Amino acid sequence: MTDHKLNYVIGFLLLVLSVVWTWLVIDTIPAGFGEGDIGPRAFPLMFGLCLSGLSVLLLLKSLLNGPRNEPEHSLTAEYQLSIHWLPAVLILIEISAYGYLLKTVGFVIATPIFVLFVMVVNLRIRSAKMLLGMSIGITLFCWLIFEKALGIYLANGSWINLG
Amino acid sequence: MEHFLNAFALALTPMSIAAIGLGSLVGLIFGSIPGLTFTVALALALPISFNLDAVPAIGLLLGTYIGGMTGGSVSAILLGIPGTPSAAATVLDGYPMTKRGDASIALGTAVIVSVFGGIFSLAVMIVSVDLVSKVAIGFGPAEIFALVLFGFSTICGLCGNSLIKGLIAGVLGLMIMTIGLDAIEGVPRMTFGSVNMMQGVNLLVAMIGLFAVPFIIEAFSEDPSKSANPKKMANVRPELPSFRLLFRNIGLMIRSSLIGTGIGAIPGTGGAIASFLAYDNAKRFSKKPETYGKGNIEGVIAPETANNAVTGGTLIPLLSLGIPGDPATAIVLAGLMIHGLVPGPALFMNHAAEVYGIYIAVIIAYAWVLGLQLLGIRVFVHVLRVPREILAVVVLVLCAIGAYSIRNSEFDIYAMAIIGVTAYVLVAVRIPITPIILGMVLGPTLENEFRTAMMLSEGKMDIFYTSPTVIVFFSLAALLIVFQSLSELKMKRKEKQKEDLSDA
Repeated sequence: MTDHKLNYVIGFLLLVLSVVWTWLVIDTIPAGFGEGDIGPRAFPLMFGLCLSGLSVLLLLKSLLNGPRNEPEHSLTAEYQLSIHWLPAVLILIEISAYGYLLKTVGFVIATPIFVLFVMVVNLRIRSAKMLLGMSIGITLFCWLIFEKALGIYLANGSWINLG
Repeated sequence: MEHFLNAFALALTPMSIAAIGLGSLVGLIFGSIPGLTFTVALALALPISFNLDAVPAIGLLLGTYIGGMTGGSVSAILLGIPGTPSAAATVLDGYPMTKRGDASIALGTAVIVSVFGGIFSLAVMIVSVDLVSKVAIGFGPAEIFALVLFGFSTICGLCGNSLIKGLIAGVLGLMIMTIGLDAIEGVPRMTFGSVNMMQGVNLLVAMIGLFAVPFIIEAFSEDPSKSANPKKMANVRPELPSFRLLFRNIGLMIRSSLIGTGIGAIPGTGGAIASFLAYDNAKRFSKKPETYGKGNIEGVIAPETANNAVTGGTLIPLLSLGIPGDPATAIVLAGLMIHGLVPGPALFMNHAAEVYGIYIAVIIAYAWVLGLQLLGIRVFVHVLRVPREILAVVVLVLCAIGAYSIRNSEFDIYAMAIIGVTAYVLVAVRIPITPIILGMVLGPTLENEFRTAMMLSEGKMDIFYTSPTVIVFFSLAALLIVFQSLSELKMKRKEKQKEDLSDA
């Protein structure tokens, strides 16, 4: 995707976000009473409008610059390389699943499962020694340092609790 | 005097010294590994600081900051890859020294001059921060609003190549901070009936997500066979420079310290600019400029002194006015606020002992950095051999622990994941992250002070144009925006001229 096309997409998405935000602000937050009370609505509303203005500016800028002003090299390999959707979505799912596991089975069980999964799926590591070492090592290290040494509360499971 | 004695009592407890040492160690390790910035380390250290008293907590954060700034030189000298952007200029002469077999003396000199730069800037900071805060003591809500707005305009310096995208990021940060209960009237805003959302987006959770998660995704996206892991590294140990060498370069060290402190005091600049300016200055005044880039020790002394002097410089606007100069100090600011140390003139009246305790913590941090780097350099060399993606797994677990431990809620882990992945996409489409943090940190003050000022003036706007201080801050903010717009235009013209020339 070229620079100006990318800016187009960003500008459009941000404009949609700002319109939805502004509508929600007007619909759900009460206005002030006047006489110095500007109320809780004023600032979120102003920020929504600012975002709309800036998104329109970004759209206009990419429209005015257009592809004719685009240098050839900006058909960037950088963009194609820099957004890796699969690892990003995987991380989102993995962290969310880890959060759920922490709540249900606690830190001591959730962490080795999580580390094992990440290393097998994301890093494609197959060495049993490495997998076991990392999953048990990280869990033990964190449990000793945070729970025992620093006294930071690590999650206890609601189904099982080993911590 | 009483405040100083109290400060010593606060800063010299075993817990304080251990916390500062831990921060320095973590900062050194994170700073020395390319790609694993000390900002990530700070974001991870922030939740740990939550359980500590104010001075050990801020000491932990400052130790991480200082350790990270110094640690960047290790990989710059040994691998030719800067651990942090501020160590980029160190590569120019540090790496040629390693290739020549002088890595040990380069590392030793880098540590000593880093400590010199840091302590020098601390002294300048102690003198100037008091003066600046004395000026700020008479500020009312209108003046504070104008000051925060000026602080917000420093986004211009943090927005990279596009002012519009920087401003968009800033507004996004401001919008995020309006979510939750309104601080003045207690009205829920954009909470959609969720109890978790009532408390708003936690600043710490957002910081972990914004800085650490994009790094993890990038590390996991890399092809392990293509990652630049050091295979061969010289057997190094830091070798202290001779007094003669240091004495010969004392003028250069003072000049570089002044450059670093001055640049650090300007919000939105940072260590990278300071180190390159100091390098350029050293080369310009050198008797042998032709030896620069070929392993001249002055090319290590200048950038390393300057980038560490930035640490003291950034604390001047941070402590006296509450304006963070870079992402790292934005996290330190969050740490200060969490512990009830609200920067500004009142900080020196209400928490003098804690402030002096922070000064002592900086000195302890430099002592730790010196000791750790001199004794532990062989260990750091081994850490540099660990693949980035393996370190990312450890960081991922630490992020989750950090996010969870703030409110013992898995909701914060989900929030961190969403914010982190969004931040990754934003970085990829070249929307800078730092203005979001600035918006999140300064947003609540901006709104509360404006609303208080409006209540005091009974809705009349003249409160904002009758005070000379307010006018000065508004003008400075406008000047910054105009200056950035002009430099952006100039840069574009240069690019166009280059293209025209290449077409011809």
